[in-house]
Amino acid sequence: MAKYITKRILMSVVTLFIIIFTLFVLVRIMPGDPFPVERMTAEMIELKRIELGLDRPIPIQFADYMARLLQGDLGNGTSLYNGAPIMPIILVCMENSFKIGVMSILFGSGVGLMMGIAAALNRGKFIDRFCTICSILGVCVPSYVFMIFLQYFFAYKIPFFPYFFDPSNFFFSAIMPAVSLSLISIATVARFTRNEMLEVLDSDYVKLAKSRGLYGFKLIRKHVLRNALIPVVTVIAPLVVDLLTGAMVMEKIYGVNGLGKLMVDAIAGEGIDYNYVLALSILFSSLYIGIMLILDILYVIIDPRIRLTAKEKV
Amino acid sequence: MNLKPKLKRFFIFPLIGLLFLVTACGRGTSENELKVMLGSTVVTLDTAHMQDSYSFEVVADCIDGLMQLDEKGNAIPAIAESFEVSADGKEYTFHLRDAKWSNGDPVTAHDFVFAWRRHCKIADEYAFIFDSTVACIKNAEAVIKGADPSTLGVTAKDDKTLVVSLDAPVSFFPALMSFPSFYPINEKFYNSVKEGSYGTSPDTFISNGAFTLDNYIPGTSNIALKKNESYWDANRISLKELRYQVVLSSDNALTAFKNGTLQVVKVAGEQVEHIKNDSELSKQLSFIPEGSLYYISFNQDPKNHHGGVLTNVNMRLAITNAIDRNSLVNNYLMDGSLPTYTAVPQKFSANVKTGKFFSENQDRYKDYVSFNLEKAREHLDKAKKELNRDEFNIHLLYSNDSGDRITKIVQAVKSQLEANLPGLTVTLQPVPKAEYLRNFSTDNFDIAVANWSPDYDDPMTFLNLWTTSNAKSTEYWSSAEYDKIISDCSTGNLAINYDARWDAMYKAEKILFEQAVIAPLFTNTNVILTSPKVSGIEYHTAGVDRVFKSAKVK
Repeated sequence: MAKYITKRILMSVVTLFIIIFTLFVLVRIMPGDPFPVERMTAEMIELKRIELGLDRPIPIQFADYMARLLQGDLGNGTSLYNGAPIMPIILVCMENSFKIGVMSILFGSGVGLMMGIAAALNRGKFIDRFCTICSILGVCVPSYVFMIFLQYFFAYKIPFFPYFFDPSNFFFSAIMPAVSLSLISIATVARFTRNEMLEVLDSDYVKLAKSRGLYGFKLIRKHVLRNALIPVVTVIAPLVVDLLTGAMVMEKIYGVNGLGKLMVDAIAGEGIDYNYVLALSILFSSLYIGIMLILDILYVIIDPRIRLTAKEKV
Repeated sequence: MNLKPKLKRFFIFPLIGLLFLVTACGRGTSENELKVMLGSTVVTLDTAHMQDSYSFEVVADCIDGLMQLDEKGNAIPAIAESFEVSADGKEYTFHLRDAKWSNGDPVTAHDFVFAWRRHCKIADEYAFIFDSTVACIKNAEAVIKGADPSTLGVTAKDDKTLVVSLDAPVSFFPALMSFPSFYPINEKFYNSVKEGSYGTSPDTFISNGAFTLDNYIPGTSNIALKKNESYWDANRISLKELRYQVVLSSDNALTAFKNGTLQVVKVAGEQVEHIKNDSELSKQLSFIPEGSLYYISFNQDPKNHHGGVLTNVNMRLAITNAIDRNSLVNNYLMDGSLPTYTAVPQKFSANVKTGKFFSENQDRYKDYVSFNLEKAREHLDKAKKELNRDEFNIHLLYSNDSGDRITKIVQAVKSQLEANLPGLTVTLQPVPKAEYLRNFSTDNFDIAVANWSPDYDDPMTFLNLWTTSNAKSTEYWSSAEYDKIISDCSTGNLAINYDARWDAMYKAEKILFEQAVIAPLFTNTNVILTSPKVSGIEYHTAGVDRVFKSAKVK
């Protein structure tokens, strides 16, 4: 098992390295300068390029970048934010994105679980159909429609929640962004929970438990949920990464200072900020790779057969 | 089923808990707090790195320069209590008042010297404002290119006296001192923060102006400022708190205004109709000219990829006269923008003697620039003969990531040109802004929709664009006569003769239109909604766009 895990970790590192290299070359051959040039003369632009070391061959720049990266230095912004160090700004944005993401996951999986359980326990009845329709809607309706709907009704028509996100009143103003993001997780978790629950409810050991006189909440909690939830957890993990990185629209609508918005700013500004684009891409890729790695390792621990089949194929 | 009561509890308790949390967190708004919309994030509060009007606006709330502008745009004292000019107009001596930084330090002449030298040394986008194109500060060019910053023509005679030496007299120099590039930075404080992090948070920034920074990080959507109690002119400031909310969509802006979340917002042209139909909202609507010019730039490079069609002056004149600017503004933009037939936009730069704007008379060049189909076709026929062709296809370059406004403009231009000039087809060429700037400055286009916002309150901020030496003289056009007039007006013998300079600038503008170097389109106007409770916001066309020092909330 240790060998498999080592191999898997090494693969992740190589993947990350390839991603960094590709991105590094790509951002450098993209048209446009990494700083605003509208009011600068050609001579001033040239001086700036030399100052930033962009006149050197790309492999040398890359070696230099990697050397600094390995020391944990993400560098300074080139066009964005004053040429200030990147790290503190990414940390602030990450904190916002992360908190809202976690709120949304908690809310989404909570509601999703309840809906899934309710649907499974009332199979074929009204509640089941209602929950199924909701989860289909949740997958089909683009989440920004839901975001605008929420904002319009609960901040404008009924002005209860603040219209925009406000970091000085974090929890309250983050509710709507988080809820609007959670739609997809509600739908996914509800559907999965319902299917798994049904399977477990039909299984022999639940029938046995019932025949032994277990009933009601205790039965559901001890025997059904515990077995039904394992697959659900594996669905939630990739959702977490999606929520952390893919909330650009939500951040735009509610004015949240988060990672998605930061990425857009870095690309779509007057100059493409090389270092921000790289730093964020590295962050996003490592999150993905990291979560996938952990999941793979967990699978092996839970089910050693995975490792064996991998070996056989080699 | 026997598990129902328990399940109900399973659902109800979390819900009650959530509702309780939600209601417990409500928050009211306090008095004398102004909440305004900002169209984009503020990327920096370090004046040496600034590049956009949003950053200028917020830093101007927090820092006072030597001078400031009054509501009419005239320069009045700020940190400088008074100043003297030498007889030749080349030396300014500013006497500073007793003002304090928000950390308690006095504001001294050294703060200005430090900031200006640093600005030229960093040599970012706005460094040009120190050199001979604008402020003409001695040795600025050399310092920007790497010379010793201490050779810059600015010295602190003592703590309260700042002496600035110029290479040539600059008639608008006092007004220029209100521009954020000339703001001071407290050197001691600057050196006390971590390198590169000055102006990135309330802890790394101090103010000497009307407000202090309460909540800010670069790129944030919410900026909060608090009244600076130690401001030298604190009595003038009635706002306790000024909050900026970055709103990127104008639909969002309008709803946020309607429900009272924001008290001042900018909306889009297509919303004007809706607002005018609403009796309440229409009273809160105002159109504020922005002083920025949209124009068509012709690439006259003979080597350009469409065979140098645009080197033909008749072709350019045909295009200039075939655009119906009224229709463009009224049918496409619908936001009160002003059709413009001059190279300097409307409602910009008033003559200090007559009080009239430089481009008050829009008919001045009507022989060359107007909407006149007959004339346009006449020029087109001549162009066809001279070029020996009947069909032309030209590409229209524009930057597509500045919203759908620009799309409306190019669609209008395309349809008008194709309808009014038979034989001409226009292919739209949308590119991202960074690529647009690169193509524009390397003459890699046929015609382009360009936009220029003034940096300072003088027609020269526009007329300077088309000199041969200007790097942004993208039109591949050069006229010795034009260059001579501009240089006479900026640094030569006309620089101190107000009337003669004004006349010479008209002469230069005429050359632009005789040769159809550009085709002006319109002067941009902002559509603003202001809550009836709010008053006293000052708008300017150049430099700092909005000033909140006299703003009040009822």
